[in-house]
Amino acid sequence: MRFFRQVWVVTVKDLRAELRTKEAINSSLAFALVILLMFSFAFDPLADTTREISGGLLWIVFAFAGTLVLNRSFARELPNDCLDGLIAAPISGSALFLGKACANFLLVMAVQLVSLPVFGVFYSVPWTKQFPELLLVLVLGTWGLTVVGTVSSALTVNIRLRELMLPMLTYPIMFPALLGAMELTADLVTGSPIGADKAGFLKMMIGFDVIYTAVSLLLVETILVG
Amino acid sequence: MREKALYLIGVLAVVLMAYNLAEIAAQPSEALFYIPLAGVAGLAAVTALVAGIAFLRTRNFQFDALAVAATEVGLAFLAAGIVCGCFLTHAEGGRWWSWDARLTAALVCWLLYATYLMLRHAVQEPSQRAAFAAVWSVFAFLDVPLVVATIAWWKPAAGMRMDWTPSRLLNLLALAMVGTLLTVVRMRQEEARRELDSLRRVTHAI
Repeated sequence: MRFFRQVWVVTVKDLRAELRTKEAINSSLAFALVILLMFSFAFDPLADTTREISGGLLWIVFAFAGTLVLNRSFARELPNDCLDGLIAAPISGSALFLGKACANFLLVMAVQLVSLPVFGVFYSVPWTKQFPELLLVLVLGTWGLTVVGTVSSALTVNIRLRELMLPMLTYPIMFPALLGAMELTADLVTGSPIGADKAGFLKMMIGFDVIYTAVSLLLVETILVG
Repeated sequence: MREKALYLIGVLAVVLMAYNLAEIAAQPSEALFYIPLAGVAGLAAVTALVAGIAFLRTRNFQFDALAVAATEVGLAFLAAGIVCGCFLTHAEGGRWWSWDARLTAALVCWLLYATYLMLRHAVQEPSQRAAFAAVWSVFAFLDVPLVVATIAWWKPAAGMRMDWTPSRLLNLLALAMVGTLLTVVRMRQEEARRELDSLRRVTHAI
């Protein structure tokens, strides 16, 4: 019970810091909108073929915009040696990690829920038709992104080329979850239900989230303390 | 003694491969090497994982040297395997890359383990580098079955038939020996580099 209270404190602290400065979420949102617009230059936005690949486009936007939020997660703690203070605080590394991951999850989710209607309008996609299923895929994919991304953020916080290394580390690991999310989203936003042939992707995404959450909680102490 | 054992392994590997050369007349040489090369890369990944976990438990830098040596050798073997696969695909359908499920999965795994080396290069402090690399090795290893399964669902139809024939198994043995040889050589190099590094630090401190 105490563990969850600690997680909650870290989450609220991170969200409060972010909502006061709005440094990550603003840049992430602006970036998401810019990419959404840029895709319409690359593909004919009203063609049926674009609708078929729209799930993939959407996740590329989410993954790129997500790393902007994740980059700030630990980097925010660098000024005034806040990170050392957090590590020295009487909470376990896993509570700190889970708190940060939850905060990142909520922020990335917020960016997605804002860019989704814009995407729907720009590409005339009926994304509201199966919104509960779509939300499930969004939650699963985003949790995978934030868990792996928060670990990468902790790994890269003190090294050279931090901003470059985070996406380099995150995307290859994310590959199975991202592929599953793209396949499922492409179906859901165009109005066709999740078929039996695609159900495997859903199970795989759940497995991905469970495995990486567990391993991250296990190993994060090593990353933070060394 | 260790030197002689290494030479022996090398000679044995060459003998095994020479014995296999007769098979090349029966099938294209890429087919003889494609799967065994990937198999050795898999063995290297297991070695790197075990060495990484051993490092995290013991903090003995020899395990870190073994992990990086095995990962690098595995990457080289997997790259060679992917190239062999490309030649096979080209021979079959005239395309160099036809999104064959196995080859695509191999490429993703290659990229995964390439990030391991990039992470190592980016971290300066030796003990932190070793710990981060070990953690990342666990992450990358866990991803391999997920990648293989996902890509098999994604492209179920695409795929060349490839089975383990006796000659391919023999080649796996030979290539595994070559891999062991290279890993030991690279491991020594890494240990020498670390010693040089610590000496440099000492002189700096003085």
